[in-house]
Order: sequence, then structure tokens, then C-alpha cells
Amino acid sequence: MVQVENLTKLYGEFVAVNELSFSIQPGEVMGLVGPNGAGKTTTLRCLSGIIPPTRGTVRVGGHDIVRDAIAAKKQIAFFTDEPRLFDYLTVWQHLNFVARIYQVADYERTGRELLEELEIANKLDALPGELSRGMKQKLAIACGLLHSPKVIYFDEPLTGLDPLGIRRMKDSILKRARDGAAIIISSHLLHLVGEICSRLLILKNGRKIIDGTLGEVTRKFSEQPGDANLEEIFFRATSETGMPAPAVPPLLPH
Amino acid sequence: MIAALLYLQYHSFRNRLVSRVKRLKQPKYLIGAIVGGIYFYFYFFRYLFRGYGGRPVVNMSIPVVNMSISPEHLQLVELLGALVLFVIVLLAWIIPHERAALTFTEAEVAFLFPAPLTRRNLIHFKLVRSQLRILFSALFLTLISRRFGGNAWIHALGWWLILSTLNLHFLGSSFARTILLDRGISNWLRRLLVFGMAVAMAGSVWVWAKRTLPEPGSADIANLNAILDYAQRVLTAGPALYLLYPFRLVVRPFLAQDATVFFAALTPALLLFLLHYLWVIYSDVAFEEASVEASQKLAVRIAAVRAGNWQGAKKNQKAKRPWFKLAATGPSATALFWKNLIGVGQVLSVRLWITIVVVVAIFGVSLGNIGRGQNLSLMAAILVVIALGYSLLLGPQVLRLDFRNDLPLADILKTFPMRGWQIALGEILAPVAVLAACQWLLLLVGAGLIFYLPGKQEALFLAIALGAAVLLPVLDVLLLLIPNAAVLLFPSWIQAGKDSPRGIEATGQRLIFALGQMLVLLVALLPAAGAFVGVFFLLYFAFGPAAAVPLAAFAATIILAAEAGFGVMLLGKLFEQFDVTEEPAN
Repeated sequence: MVQVENLTKLYGEFVAVNELSFSIQPGEVMGLVGPNGAGKTTTLRCLSGIIPPTRGTVRVGGHDIVRDAIAAKKQIAFFTDEPRLFDYLTVWQHLNFVARIYQVADYERTGRELLEELEIANKLDALPGELSRGMKQKLAIACGLLHSPKVIYFDEPLTGLDPLGIRRMKDSILKRARDGAAIIISSHLLHLVGEICSRLLILKNGRKIIDGTLGEVTRKFSEQPGDANLEEIFFRATSETGMPAPAVPPLLPH
Repeated sequence: MIAALLYLQYHSFRNRLVSRVKRLKQPKYLIGAIVGGIYFYFYFFRYLFRGYGGRPVVNMSIPVVNMSISPEHLQLVELLGALVLFVIVLLAWIIPHERAALTFTEAEVAFLFPAPLTRRNLIHFKLVRSQLRILFSALFLTLISRRFGGNAWIHALGWWLILSTLNLHFLGSSFARTILLDRGISNWLRRLLVFGMAVAMAGSVWVWAKRTLPEPGSADIANLNAILDYAQRVLTAGPALYLLYPFRLVVRPFLAQDATVFFAALTPALLLFLLHYLWVIYSDVAFEEASVEASQKLAVRIAAVRAGNWQGAKKNQKAKRPWFKLAATGPSATALFWKNLIGVGQVLSVRLWITIVVVVAIFGVSLGNIGRGQNLSLMAAILVVIALGYSLLLGPQVLRLDFRNDLPLADILKTFPMRGWQIALGEILAPVAVLAACQWLLLLVGAGLIFYLPGKQEALFLAIALGAAVLLPVLDVLLLLIPNAAVLLFPSWIQAGKDSPRGIEATGQRLIFALGQMLVLLVALLPAAGAFVGVFFLLYFAFGPAAAVPLAAFAATIILAAEAGFGVMLLGKLFEQFDVTEEPAN
């Protein structure tokens, strides 16, 4: 569904993403992890057509994101870590607006279902300024899912959600995957990645450290089967020496 | 404790200054600083420490005007200044309704409020911090007032004294307001009492003037000098002289003609300043809770303005109805047009319309008075023409519901499955439509007035109105394309709001921008102007001016429309190439 070949993004002389290649199939959920500044957000921005790659290609559903941008973008939904909404549009006006952009003819039915599912159906006439952060995120999600995207990118999807919201978000992501969407999740929350991702791609300094199923990645970074959890794997994969990070003493004495 | 607060003040100021100096390494700030510096020098600084009669170095700016006050008018000017101060103070007691809230930043609230500091420490911190703003304001006002003569140091100190006393008074009055609220005196009751007192004071002056002075005749209001003479008679004797006494003390040092008079006036003014200080310091008012709330609101507004989102910075936004029903299918650009029209509804509030109507009415009445005896419709027609001119000048600056407003959401716009030109077209359509609608309305009014104008030029004037109706919408597109292209080309140069880069370099950037936009517009207008002139003279002799004007306007419109179409495509390309990781405005 998404094919990335030799994706490189430069800012001046700074290499944000370096020769990145991978692909993701329908129904897969890929976790994109890496330390701060690894190039995760830049990668997602390139994959969604927000910024052009300096080199390399990104194909979404067979359409090149640069040359055939319209066809590619029609299949994508990108959820940023901060919900980005128009201050002067109400909840329902947001859906109406997005429906026209993506030409969703039956948006009224789909929109109402989504709002019901996300439990903001009683806020139809509210402006974003009147919504809590969690509700804003739900609205952004409703807008993104309105056109039934086949490819979904999440940048830190759990930021600002309450425990119930987190549970619903995880369920929602898995449901979309079951429905055949290809999903990429960029997150620092390794337990989230471990819970819902079927694949893992670790980035460091813009370079791919490893890409594979969770089992493959675990096997590669474990000295013995089952001796490492995802956190250990992350530290081993991203540390300079390949060694696990030293145990951190508790901040407060027991 | 106060040393720590001074340390914070000093280092915040110093670090801000250093970072601004450091950014001069970037050409855009350096060029801005040079242009801004030249502007400030020629416009203000060269007059600062030079007598008003000093010869300008280069004769390219507005000449210095000798407006030194004659001794016979000094008392009147002092009283007028006192009157202005009185009105400001009166408004400070009438308008506000909130409880006392010293405005702190969120960081200051987080660090200072839980710290072992007394309330008085916090007030001192606030006072010291406000001094920085006051000093800059005093300097700026001196630069302006110095152009009209007088001693620079006296002006600077005079301004400082006026602004500092006012600052203390605002703070004291906010504390007093809170105390009154705590004692059960509502805002409306307080307003009524203060207003009643002001009316009583004005009434006493009026009664005195009525009993003592002869009725003002037509000669007393014939011109400005006559009005001033009459005002002098009313204000320089009787109760006004005493009622305004404290305010006179504050303005007196500023108006001093020499150092001796200044120092003589300084003592009572400083005494008044000291009294204000003691009032503020010894008012034991709990301002913390309101301050925390105010700081949070301020932070939200600053964040919104920094993001270029003026709408988000506004208080009490209300949901607006869409101007038309948006179907789910059809051209995508219409969605952006629809969205921005809803946003226009936030800008063009009922209050704004009332303000516009009041301003136009006042302007119209004054014009009517000036042109008393002349044809009123001629005055109204002149007003329409002036309003049309201003719509072209100010319209594109006021109506910013386009890329200038949506740039902080550029990454979201870029995910839309739309071509660049479609997004560009959708973005600028709303301001163009609103502007064109206003202009057509004005033209309609103007066309109605034509039949009441003196002379027999109805056909020609109607032809001009028709030509303008065809030409203006396309011209609006061009006028809006230029700032939109500018914001995409130089996003970090565009001033986002009150929290955007300030100072000499920002002024320079604005000047360069204004000049650049004017040049681009001139270049864009040249071919259309050529077409207009060509067609006009071609048809003038055959069919007369009434037919030549609209046809020439039509020809010019075709040229402008072609340019506008090209401009939209170009704007779309610029948006496609726009890098969302570009340095933000701040």
C-alpha cells in the first residue's frame, strides 16, 4: 500500500532522513520509533505529501506522492500530535468542509456515525475553542476518517487523551487495520507500539536501524529468546554501542 | 528579594536585546534594521537634540514645524492636557469591570507566585517591569513631540512622569475597584457614581460659564482660534481651573519652557506620583487568583497571535452560520471559499458595522458642515469616492481570511487532494468577494447620487461607475494576490501581530514590504492602464466619453483578468513549493 524507496530529506546540509526504504501492506500497523530528532515527523510529513522529499520516491496505492499527488492524497489521513482545526468552524462545519475537499457524497450519515462513535455527537455546533483537547483530537480524527482513508499516519496519537480515550483510540486503530487500512504510528510510547503494532521501524539520525515484524526485531536484539522487552530493544538498537541502557535508579527513595 | 526580581528583569531585557542583535547576522533582519534605522533617523532622531530651527541634513522629510506655545496660550494648553488626562482617568474608573489582575506571564506566575514573596514584592516587580515599557513609550513620544519644538530632556522627563503617574493610577483604580466589589458595590453602581461626579463637575463649569460669561455666539465657533479663545475663557477661570488642578500638576513639567520652570513644576508632580505609589503599595488587595486566570488567557492569546491566528486571539468567539450551503461534491476550491466566508463573519461583526456607519456618518456630517451651502449630494458622492479609494487601500489589509490567516495550518492544507492553484483560488476568493460586494454597494449608492449632482454629466458618471464595477473585482484579486504571495515567499517577514518582531528592524521590514508591494502593483497595472488609455482615445472621438469609458474599462479588465489568472497559478505554485518547516514569524 505504501512503498518508500531511498527517501532522503535534507534541510540545507542537515540530513533529516537518509536513504529510507520500506513498504507496508494493507492491514499492517507499523510502529515508527526513534529518539528525539531521529526524523520520524519528517518521514511522516514526506509520506503524506506535506513536504517534498529531496530524493527518493513515495508511492501510496501505486500513486507517486509528488507526481500524482491528488490521487495519492485522496487515500491518506494524517493525524498530527496536536489537533489542527479551523478556529471559526464548528464541529459539523468541519465535517462539511472536509467532505467537499474529499468529495464524500454521503458525509452526513458517515459523519454522524463517526461523531457518535467518538462521543462528540452532542457538540455539533461547538467551536474548537469550546472543546477540550481530547475532544479536539476526536474531531480531527472524525475529519480524517470521513473519507475512509486506506493509509493512515498517526504522530503521537495518544497525547492528551484520558485513559478511556486511549483505550478507544487503540481499538479504533486496530479496527481500521482490520478493515484493511495500512497504518503507521510514530510514537515514543513503546507500550503502545508493543500492544498494537505488527511491525516496527526504528530510526536514528534519519537512518533506518531496523525494520521488521515485532518477532523479527526482538530476535535480532535478544541475546537469548525472550530476554528483552521492547524498551530494551529500543535502547540496544539506538545506543551507540548496541548495549542496553544502564538501569535507572529510582528518583525517590522507597 | 527585590534583587532577585531585578536580576530577572535585567537579564530578560539583556538576553532579549542580545538575541535581537545576534539575529542581525541574517540579511533579512540586517537590511530591515538599516532601512528602519534610516527611517527613524530622518523622521525622528535628527530632531531630538537639535533646536526646531535646525536645518535638515537632507531635505527629504517633513519639515520641523515651529509650534512652541506662546505664553498667553500656555495655561490653556496646560488645561487642555489636564482635561485629556481627566478623561483618561475617568474612563479608567468607568469602563473596566474585572477584578484587579496584574498581568504576569505564565512563567512568572509559575515561578513567583509559589515563591516566598510578599504581595508587595510582586507589585514592586510589576512596577519595575512596567518601567521598561514606559521608558520606551516616553522616548517614542519625545521623538514625536520634539518635532514641534521644546527641550528634549524636559519632554522626555515630562512624558515619563505623565505615563508613570497614569500607570500607577490605573493600578490603584483597579485595586479600588476590587475593594468596592468586595464591599458589595457593583460595577454599575460604581460607574453611576463616577459618571454622576463627572457630570456634576462638568455641570458646575457650565453653570459658572453661563452666569459669568456671555453666551457663545456664532463668532465664537467660527474657526479654531475663536473656539480656542472661548475655551480659554471657560477653562482658565472659575471651577475648571481648580477641578483640573491635580491633572495640571502632572502635565506642567512637560510644558515647562526652561529648566527653572521645569524643576519648580517637578516637586508637586513628584509628590502626586509618590501619593499614587503609596496608594498602590498600601492597597491590600488579593489579585493573585485573577492574575493567574489573566496570565492563562494572555498565554492563549499570545500563542494564537504567534501562530498568526488573530481569530483565535479574540475573546468570546461565536459560531457563525455559513453564507451558503456547501454541497458535498463540486469544485474543491469552493470549500475554502465557504470556510473563509464563515471566518469573515467573525471579523465583520455587528460592532464593526456600527463603527463603520458611525465613522462614515461623523465624516459625512463634518464634510457637510464644511461644504455648508453646497450641494449635499456632491458631498455624499465625494464620500463614496473616498470610501472606494480606502477600500482599495485598506481592504486587502483588513480582510486577511486567506493564506495570511491559514498559514499556520499550511501543513493541513498540503494534505488536501487539491492542486496548488485550487487552494490559492479558494484562499483568496472570500476577501475578494467581500471587498467587491462592498465596492459594488458603494457604486450603487454613488450611481443613485449621480442624478442629484449639479451639472448635466449623468451619462458620463454612470459610465464611470459601470467601468469601475467591472474593473474593481479583478483589481481586488490582484491587490490580494500580492500580500498572499509575499506571505508565502517571506513567511518570517510577515508581521503576525502585536507579539511579532518589533523594533527598528521590523519597521524596516514593513517599509521594504510596502514599497515592494507598491512596485509589483504598479508593474501589474501598467499594461492595463495602457489598454485603458488606448481604447479610450480610440473610441472617444467616435462615440464620446460615455461609451469610451466602460469599453476602455472592459479592455483593461481583460488584461487584469489575464494577469490575475496567471497570478493565481503562480500563487498555487508558490504554495506547492512552500516549505512548512520555514522559520516561523517569531
